[in-house]
Amino acid sequence: MALTSRAVLVALAGIVPVALLPAPLTVLVWALVVVAVCAVDVALAASPRELAVSRRLPPSVRLSGTVDAVLTLRNVGRRTSRALVRDAWPPSTLPDGDAPTGARTPRHRVDVPAGEQRRVTTTLVPTRRGDAVADRVTVRTLGPLGVAGRQATLDVPGRLRVLPEFASRRHLPSRLARLRELDGRSAVQLRGAGTEFDSLREYVDGDDVRSIDWRATARRREVVVRTWRPERDRHVLLVVDTSRTSAARVLDGTRLEASVEAALLLGVLAAHAGDRVELLAYDRRVRARAADSHSSRVLPALAEALAGVQPALVETDWPGLVGQVRSRLSRRALVVLLTSLDPASVEQGLLDVVGGLTRRHQVVLASVADPELEELRTSRRTVDEVFDAAAAERTSLERDAVAVRLRQRGVEVVEASPDDLAPRLADTYLALKASGRL
Amino acid sequence: MSATTAPVVEVVGDGSTGRSRAAGRWRRARPWLVVLGVVLVGGLVLALPAPPSSTTPGAPDNAGASGARAVAQVLERQGVTVEHVTTTAAALAAATGDSTVLVVGDQWLTQEQTDALVALPDDLVLVDAGWALSTIAPDVVTAGTGNTREQREAACDDPDAVAAGTITAAGGYVDLGGRATTCFPTGPGLDGGAYLTLEQDGRRVTALSDLHPLTNDAVDADGNAALVLRMLGRHDHLVWYVPSIDDLGPVDAGDDTASLTDLVPWVRPVTGWLVLVLVVTVVWRARRLGPVVAEPLPVVVRSAETARGRGRLYRRARAHGHAAAALRAGTAARVAHRLGLPRSADAPALVDALARATGRRAGDVEALIYGPPPTDDAGLLRLADDLHHLESEVHRT
Repeated sequence: MALTSRAVLVALAGIVPVALLPAPLTVLVWALVVVAVCAVDVALAASPRELAVSRRLPPSVRLSGTVDAVLTLRNVGRRTSRALVRDAWPPSTLPDGDAPTGARTPRHRVDVPAGEQRRVTTTLVPTRRGDAVADRVTVRTLGPLGVAGRQATLDVPGRLRVLPEFASRRHLPSRLARLRELDGRSAVQLRGAGTEFDSLREYVDGDDVRSIDWRATARRREVVVRTWRPERDRHVLLVVDTSRTSAARVLDGTRLEASVEAALLLGVLAAHAGDRVELLAYDRRVRARAADSHSSRVLPALAEALAGVQPALVETDWPGLVGQVRSRLSRRALVVLLTSLDPASVEQGLLDVVGGLTRRHQVVLASVADPELEELRTSRRTVDEVFDAAAAERTSLERDAVAVRLRQRGVEVVEASPDDLAPRLADTYLALKASGRL
Repeated sequence: MSATTAPVVEVVGDGSTGRSRAAGRWRRARPWLVVLGVVLVGGLVLALPAPPSSTTPGAPDNAGASGARAVAQVLERQGVTVEHVTTTAAALAAATGDSTVLVVGDQWLTQEQTDALVALPDDLVLVDAGWALSTIAPDVVTAGTGNTREQREAACDDPDAVAAGTITAAGGYVDLGGRATTCFPTGPGLDGGAYLTLEQDGRRVTALSDLHPLTNDAVDADGNAALVLRMLGRHDHLVWYVPSIDDLGPVDAGDDTASLTDLVPWVRPVTGWLVLVLVVTVVWRARRLGPVVAEPLPVVVRSAETARGRGRLYRRARAHGHAAAALRAGTAARVAHRLGLPRSADAPALVDALARATGRRAGDVEALIYGPPPTDDAGLLRLADDLHHLESEVHRT
């Protein structure tokens, strides 16, 4: 049972008779009137359990996209159902989810005559990646007087997968253009591990003498050089670190968000370049993985796999991660570690085992740099700020030192602010490809 | 992304029947009903008439050691009507003009109340009420002697005192005017006595300096009972007044002050009705439209938090040396990079390159980057400033 504001008005109206005839009997009689009105209204209200509720929902939506969650209410009873319907969703999926007053689930007032059906639509604007699970649907049916009604909470399952936003796709056209340029030029001077023989052509000034093909030169009258082109069908393994360091906030989002964006851009780019892309999200165990060789299916596969990945407050198991990488790769590949250049975490974990990776693979470490650290380092007006600046300076030095040690072990280190990480990583990939180091 | 999920499931009801819902309601309500029952029973027990015994000293319904129920009961058996009152107004109303008014203790009495009591034509018995007595007889003062409770001889010719012989009492009154009879002296040869009686305006005023002879504990000792019963049993009607702290005065509060409820008759029922409306409002607001949806909150630790924490440690430790070393190392690393020096370049090479790039003297540059660490805030600030200038000069070149 549930009352409405009208019930309060009915009760309030009792003040008039009570004031005119101030006797205990008046109070008793009017109290009985209020109770009777409510009871009659409840008795005449349609049962909320005679509404058949079904849900229509798109399976997934991109982060910050808008989606309509539709509920269809079919009246299977004999009375007209005057219903107040609430389709409950987690606060972060509601349009005003970030409002300081908290989100308010929209309520729908709908009349469903017997045997007919009506639709109510709740607009969702998810602000968090992952699976948004619909909570229960509450139906309150009011009696003909609108004073009181009945209420039932129904379990109507619904799940909305919120995919990463992939805001870095605005960098994709320019990188794809560079890739085509790279393919068309097809003239890599030096043979590398990731190159294949392309063609012979006449020597021009500036060509490396080491690339002269003496046998072909002997057959012809001019000097001929061999050219190489970046090999297609290389293997790219994207490793997203979901450990505690990925939970830290940089500017507006966590490190993990920036890593996800970078992984998506690089994955799509590499798939267009004809490479096989594989994804692994790992901290102490595999959180997600995806592999697809077809370029048009890579983005959905990656987005789907990364949708549910959340930071876990544990330390990365680097030896376990290296084991995973080894078991997945049979030949030389590009291994991209999307992690943090956190001195403590790198020195105690990654540095010891990274040799096992660089011996066989090209390793790139992409880390989100914190612009706030730079801000802290440069503001030096008061003594307190100078102490903070010194601390930031020390932190930067340690990060640089770690980066140097990683580079000494053959790791390519990319460090950039959250917005720049995805394009910078894509550029590094293109540079590696152009130089045949894949 | 516009495709809908393939099978649309239709949900009818929540799987409950009227019977299961009623059972669920009964199960949920049971603990509250138990609580309600306990509260009701407890309330009933508390609302039962108070036990016939009180704990007020000197009260006729107090069966304890300090009470006086024994005296009151004996008087009633002898045909004296004992009327126990606790307010001056009730005492004034109960006095018939031909009764004994007993006042036990006067520490809660105001001047106004005392005056009203004194103005009565009835016989007065003042027990442990020296101040009230001095209102009636200004010549009577409290004796400074005999403060310990002891057995005393009557030592006077008052028939009541003579009949009692000896009593156990403390304190005493001294009559300076010589109008009153004083008995049971505070000591051999002293003027003061525990019992004092005088005639005034045709009525008898008796005073006893100590409540002790009246109490259940002591009434059967010595001649206490004889004195007390004779003192109180002089008339058929005894008004037993034990003043209390919540006594408002000689006038009855309900007599002539009219409250709002008397002026406007419907205020009380309307207020009661508004409480009922409030209950309806609570029921209306209390029923939520469905449960609250919970969601885990994301981690919000800022990445630079560790650097800030380290800065705070430096600050608290006043680690000027450490801070200066960090600042210098950072500057050195950056300018070396800008000047194209290898990472392995040593200090003299860096100083040399810097001196050439900035046009400063090599000694100054060396002091700035490799000099002694500052020891105070001002030194550290100055160093930070100087390093910043040095860096910007390198930038310009």
